[in-house]
Amino acid sequence: MTSDYEVIVIGAGHAGVEAAHAVARLGCTVAVCTLSRETVAHMPCNPAIGGTAKGHLVREIDALGGLMGHAIDATAIQFTLLNRSRGPAVWSPRAQADKGRYGEWMRARLEREPNIGWIVGRAGAVLVEGTRVVGLELEDGERYRCRALVVTAGTFLNGLVHVGPVQRPAGRVGEPASQVLGESLKQLGLVWGRLKTGTPPRLDRRSIDFSRFEKEPGDRPPVPFSFMTGSVERAQVCCHVVHTNDAVHELVRRNLGRSPLYNGQISGIGPRYCPSLEDKVMRFPDRERHQLFLEPEGLDVPEIYVSGCSMSLPHEVQHEVVRALPGLEDAVMLRPGYAVEYDFIQPTELRPTLETRLVSGLYLAGQINGTSGYEEAAGQGLVAGVNAARTVRALRPWVLGREEGYIGVMVDDLTTQGCLEPYRIFTSRAEHRLLLRIDNADLRLTARGREVGLVGEERWEQFKGRRGRFERNVERVREARVREKGRSVAASQVLRRPGVSLAGLASQGVVQVETAAESAAVEMSSVETVVKYEGYLRRQEAMVARCARDERRKIPTGFPFEAVPGLSREAAERLMAVVPETLGQAGRVPGVTAAGVAVLGAYVRRWSGRADGDAAAGD
Amino acid sequence: MFTPDDTIVAVATPPGRGGLGVVRLSGPGASTIAGALLDRSEPLRPRHATLARIVDQTAVVSIAVDQVVATSFPRPGSYTGDDVVEICAHGSPVLLSRIVTLARAAGARLAEPGEFTLRAYLNGRLDLVQAEAVADLVEAVTPLQARVAFDQLEGTVTVRIRELDRQLFDLIARLEASLDFPAEGYHFVEAGEVVVVVGAIRGQVEALLDGAARGRLIREGCQVVILGKPNVGKSTLFNQLLGVVRAIVTPVAGTTRDLVTEVTDLDGLAVTLVDSAGIRPARDPVEEEGVWRARQALGVASAAVVVLDRTGPLAPEDWAVLEETAPVRRVVAVNKMDEPASWALESLGLAAGAAIVEVSARTGEGFEGLRETLRDVLTDGESLTDTPPVANSRHIGLLERVAEALGAAEEAAATGAAEEFVLADLQRGRSALDELTGKRTPDDVLQHIFEQFCIGK
Repeated sequence: MTSDYEVIVIGAGHAGVEAAHAVARLGCTVAVCTLSRETVAHMPCNPAIGGTAKGHLVREIDALGGLMGHAIDATAIQFTLLNRSRGPAVWSPRAQADKGRYGEWMRARLEREPNIGWIVGRAGAVLVEGTRVVGLELEDGERYRCRALVVTAGTFLNGLVHVGPVQRPAGRVGEPASQVLGESLKQLGLVWGRLKTGTPPRLDRRSIDFSRFEKEPGDRPPVPFSFMTGSVERAQVCCHVVHTNDAVHELVRRNLGRSPLYNGQISGIGPRYCPSLEDKVMRFPDRERHQLFLEPEGLDVPEIYVSGCSMSLPHEVQHEVVRALPGLEDAVMLRPGYAVEYDFIQPTELRPTLETRLVSGLYLAGQINGTSGYEEAAGQGLVAGVNAARTVRALRPWVLGREEGYIGVMVDDLTTQGCLEPYRIFTSRAEHRLLLRIDNADLRLTARGREVGLVGEERWEQFKGRRGRFERNVERVREARVREKGRSVAASQVLRRPGVSLAGLASQGVVQVETAAESAAVEMSSVETVVKYEGYLRRQEAMVARCARDERRKIPTGFPFEAVPGLSREAAERLMAVVPETLGQAGRVPGVTAAGVAVLGAYVRRWSGRADGDAAAGD
Repeated sequence: MFTPDDTIVAVATPPGRGGLGVVRLSGPGASTIAGALLDRSEPLRPRHATLARIVDQTAVVSIAVDQVVATSFPRPGSYTGDDVVEICAHGSPVLLSRIVTLARAAGARLAEPGEFTLRAYLNGRLDLVQAEAVADLVEAVTPLQARVAFDQLEGTVTVRIRELDRQLFDLIARLEASLDFPAEGYHFVEAGEVVVVVGAIRGQVEALLDGAARGRLIREGCQVVILGKPNVGKSTLFNQLLGVVRAIVTPVAGTTRDLVTEVTDLDGLAVTLVDSAGIRPARDPVEEEGVWRARQALGVASAAVVVLDRTGPLAPEDWAVLEETAPVRRVVAVNKMDEPASWALESLGLAAGAAIVEVSARTGEGFEGLRETLRDVLTDGESLTDTPPVANSRHIGLLERVAEALGAAEEAAATGAAEEFVLADLQRGRSALDELTGKRTPDDVLQHIFEQFCIGK
């Protein structure tokens, strides 16, 4: 058995690349085990990064020193800032990616890391001694030793692709599924389930007359994802809007019996928030039309992605559906849409570090944890990678709190609540949403990334400058005064009025604001927001402080949840499955009431008193 | 306190001697412990009153202590939701405390105040509002107080809060959807609708709060202080209002140097009457203290009864008291209506409609009118027959927080603030509702609430 690597990452998707990069940056040797180096950071579904809350995740990954923000800024072909008409806490960047270039950029970036090696092959069994991971065996029998293993297998575990009645075992269309790895994980005793997701058909751009559609152009100037990108000068492409009509709905209805989603062929649970065309037609019978988007998959490739139109109807029906769409009468379908069912591991099996509780050194990240989305996967990959490296170096776990970022919210949601359907991040999942903005992701997280070694010199220096300017700017705005009708009024008070902007006050010379040219917009935004919405932010900060007490109250390892009386049986069972590490986490486990938390708190205190000398116990 | 695997025990009836007294056991060991106390070989039949004897087996020779009726209520169909045994013994404090001691020797722990009801809450038998109603019901001194508390126990507040929460949740869900799905082209909520819906919900909260002052008056009762220059008959009036002789009455001016208080039921209101020393320039330190206390009492009182003597001329002290009480709710009681008057009521120069009543504290004449006027002054003339659902200061405080948060949301929405800020206020309002019913109440608040109970409840 060779033992060249301290950490092995299975999978080179969005979770895998962030995990491998994080491990390497933290100074450990790491191997990426992938079926092919051609599909690194592949986008099997929509050709886009970001979106509501997802854009926040990308900013956070970037602020921590991860890759996703850089990669999309370098390869995007259209940028938009969503929710621009709303407030600063829900502005979210989104970009259309050139899929091919995105993957190439990522692969090249990983290849530049001296600590990263590659294992091209099919991952098989997880090798465990006692309760520790010790290595990985490929399906061909080759064995690699490692001290931590990060599994980012996406939809490959027992993947089953459906196109109408045709079913094929596959992780993604055209790529073989993995049975051995899934079996190996289940044999470790990890609780698993089955989910479903889907993707729409791809059309040939040369067969489409785009002049017939409403255009969706990108923003000018584009808002980049990475705090290090500065400004983006690039020609952008347009997306186009298509609407379904009665003919399309009728086709779907008539062929419903041939849709695996509706004829019982698929048992996995799909995401409610990303309904298939079949679901849209059947669940919203009153709607006369649904909005779809035509999104190019790249500059030099013919594929057009029909966003909002995922389906698993038979090939020929999909063809008819596409051609029934007004404006697409002559469209050529390059690939049909499909549904894919796959096994996932219930993330309640994981600690907040994404390590399994059953096997130490074994980390899971991405779709294998029941999530959907490239950004969700990448965020988890980063957390798993950092913790895998820290476990190799025998360092303390690294966990982001819910009040620190969407990554913290997501990991906490997954590990305390598990998944009943594919998990997608939303801004509404963050109870401290106003504090978790794209403009302050670096202020929240760059120091956290620096403390573990993920943030390099260049970013750190730039950040220190930016933080200093931010603090001075806020100070200046707070001190500045304006003359209004002969009276002197605090500039901050003027700024709080609807419609007044910091840029406006600065241009009137009321207040001096210093910004770096390449990041002026985000710097202005973060100063304006903290002054303009100070009251709201203060209240949420107070809320964070109130919750902090329960978050600090540790539940000691081995605490017998089953022996706590006064908890409903359901609550006790959920707690035993989740094994929360703090009272705060316990309170978020479904079925656990405020009364339950009070009882739990008393028993934790009592039990900790009994367990002699357990320094970590108690509050 | 939050440890429901202990079996707890306490005397559930009031301290003192009575015909019967009840000892209550609750917890997983209730039946076993009762078994150890009772001279029976087989366990109690659920929900059957069983005649048995309490035996002290800790003594060298086991001694029978009392003949009792014991009833077992198995979980979850009991008051607390635990296994409960109630032992109805003869009502001697010595006996009852011996039974408690025996139960403790058999493994029970003495219950903390309110712990039985806390368990009912922890076990989901009652929500927090209902648990508080139990305490109020036990503490009630007027039938009206008992009625308000019972309504609350029956869930009248709970139902309304749930309805408010439902409406709030519906709006929040739609607003959240418009933030999280901006590109889908669906309209989950129209801009103008938010202001209207929030306003409607706030209106319901305000309506609950409208009756709240009256509710609090009923629940907490109020203080009425009797003021007047020395020897106008304050103490006689005090006694007449109480219907019993309580304050010391002498013809010597300045007898009542301290404050004498007594609780009376004024048409359902628990009114604490305070007889004060007259407010006047004091002649010695003791009297000075009395005058100071009278002023203090006026500071916290809900109303004052100003007593004037109709038989002698109005003195500067009378005018001083009238002036001092002008800003507060008051009734002017003109005493000694059974004797010849030396001045006309008009000479007081009070505004038309001022509460002024002629009485004779000595004969009781005019007291019906005085009681009625005093009640109207206290309730702002509103009837007490229509009992308001909200009466508890904690509830009122939280509902005021809800109203404030909704008001902020309404204003934010009206001035075109972004949804996330409107939502921040709406969420704040919703979490106050959750705290009200105990869905999300921090455990120190819970502790505080249940600490105010008496032991055995």
